[in-house]
Amino acid sequence: MPSPLKVLIANRGEIAVRVIRACRELGLGTVAIYSECDRAALHVRLADEAWPIGPSPAAESYLRIDKMVAVARQAGASLVHPGYGFLAENGAFAEACLAAGLTFVGPTPQAIARMGSKTAARQAAIAAGVPVVPGTESPLPDDASEAVLAAEAARIGFPLVVKAVSGGGGKGMRTVDGPADLAAAVRVARSEAKAAFGDSAVYFERRLVAPRHIEIQLLGDEHGTVVPFVERECSIQRRHQKVVEESPSRAIGDETRRAMAECAAKVARSVGYTNAGTIEFLVDRDERFYFLEMNTRLQVEHPVTEMVTGVDLVAWQLRIARGERLTLSHARALTPRAHAIECRVYAEDPDRGFLPSPGLVRAINVPGGPWVRDDRGVTAGFEIPVFYDSMISKLVVWDDTREAAVRRLTRALDEYRVVGVRTTLPFFRWLVEQPEFREGRFDTTYLDRVLAERQGRPFRDPSPADETYASVAVSVAAWLRAHRAAAGATTDEASAWRRAARREALQ
Amino acid sequence: MTFEIEIGPRTRTVSIEGLGAAGPSGGQFRATIDGEPHEVSVRSTDLGLSLVFADGRSIDVAATETASGEWFVQLPHVDLTAVVDRRRRERVRPGVAAAAGLQRVTAPMPGRVVRVLVKVGDLVEVRQPLVVIEAMKMENELTSPKAGTVKEVPASEGQSVEAGRLLVVVE
Repeated sequence: MPSPLKVLIANRGEIAVRVIRACRELGLGTVAIYSECDRAALHVRLADEAWPIGPSPAAESYLRIDKMVAVARQAGASLVHPGYGFLAENGAFAEACLAAGLTFVGPTPQAIARMGSKTAARQAAIAAGVPVVPGTESPLPDDASEAVLAAEAARIGFPLVVKAVSGGGGKGMRTVDGPADLAAAVRVARSEAKAAFGDSAVYFERRLVAPRHIEIQLLGDEHGTVVPFVERECSIQRRHQKVVEESPSRAIGDETRRAMAECAAKVARSVGYTNAGTIEFLVDRDERFYFLEMNTRLQVEHPVTEMVTGVDLVAWQLRIARGERLTLSHARALTPRAHAIECRVYAEDPDRGFLPSPGLVRAINVPGGPWVRDDRGVTAGFEIPVFYDSMISKLVVWDDTREAAVRRLTRALDEYRVVGVRTTLPFFRWLVEQPEFREGRFDTTYLDRVLAERQGRPFRDPSPADETYASVAVSVAAWLRAHRAAAGATTDEASAWRRAARREALQ
Repeated sequence: MTFEIEIGPRTRTVSIEGLGAAGPSGGQFRATIDGEPHEVSVRSTDLGLSLVFADGRSIDVAATETASGEWFVQLPHVDLTAVVDRRRRERVRPGVAAAAGLQRVTAPMPGRVVRVLVKVGDLVEVRQPLVVIEAMKMENELTSPKAGTVKEVPASEGQSVEAGRLLVVVE
């Protein structure tokens, strides 16, 4: 039997574990890499082979293209899967793999470069006839008359935002609700922009009121087939980071779903996109959607799509990379079976502003039972490093309806225990009780708004009963420790006797 | 054995008495909290301890002693911090005695001090931001654990710190 093809997994943590699992199921060999602090990590333990790639800081290990390529050669790997993060959207890495005769499990370097630039991607979307957030395409001239400004504003629609071309951090930015306030807002924005950035150029962009973040996963093969999937709803975000993702979205109907999927596929086809990618949209209250950007990789939240379609996206990534035809049914990819929700569980202290809380995980109790999936790169006994993202796991549940899925999630969160470090589990237990979350009434501004309103209050205060339990537990633990210490000498003696007795019995 | 258990503002006196088969790996106990007795069956588990009280209530709990001598207690729905025998420990380690009423804010992870938001003598509220540390590519605010007066600020802007480094002392 010829030795199997080997895949180098150029990543760490849960996504490396996820890719190893897909490789195993396809009969592919697995080559892991690890930095110094990851020697005992789960992805290293699960892989067929594991190779060191340097010190713990990512810049000296997981971001080193030269080392990745060298390990792939040394280990005899023929494919390279980049996971997400690190080098996953680095065109130079894809290029280096191809130059070394390795198959990069992802899009071409050209597609990565094109869709990685926000303005180039926006132009690609416009060229494909896909709506983008309406705005003026070029800066408004300094001497533009009020009539010109009014005409431009009317074209875009209110409410709109006057934005400094060189802006950032909210400076030189003004929201305008109607024509009456326009001229004054432009004057103020210009003078602010001039003072802050030395450039008074401004442009208009429609202000979406309470938009949702909804995205379309897609797969493309090397033979021209592109298959879009049912949407993922990712509006629960903290400081622009997704926290909870689900599929399907409550906010759109079948018609919008089909239209968004069609638009996503059009953009992908227009740039010859291959392998897995995701097109992100903003969606307003009237279900109008606007292209936001494209992610040219597998995404963190891919499991919710897998749960509602029954399609293994990572397996397809590998099959596509090996030149297979995408034989997936379009109808299956677009039709959600029931409902899936994912929570990203981090080693962060939600009661201290989500401060990272890396450290030794002493024990883990992972929820089980029907339709609960836990993608995890951390085990009991592993020290969560300070060098990378502090994700512990992605907890995913599936059930018939969203209501049932929320109940299952609530149950799974209660079961989940991580001992030794602070985690975001208490925050999720709070979130799933919020009426807005339970009823699916939220947009991208929801979480930051309610967190600000809470003013750092703990997500759950211990009740008097909790304090009683804790007092008993700590006292008993201290009692047991004292008695273990006292019994130490005798226990050693007793086990020495037992060992001696066993030796005699064996002779 | 009797312990003083401090949780939040309240201190409880808890005496633990082993009943019958109680031994180093668990058994039956009587825990008397401020005079009120609770009978509890205890077993060691992978997580920590399984407690079953006389009324049938089952509680799976992990109690980990941290480097600072506090206990990090993880109950099924809530985490909390407990201090055991503060007075006794402070007698044994006189260095700590001076720290009564003082709260030391230390770096929870290695990083770089981006901003110092308070100076010695400032009055601070509970949860008021004191120092901003950059770590894991994120800026993190360290907040005051209590309302009080800033006593010391060993942290300086731009400084690289290792985990556990003292940044601010609040009294």
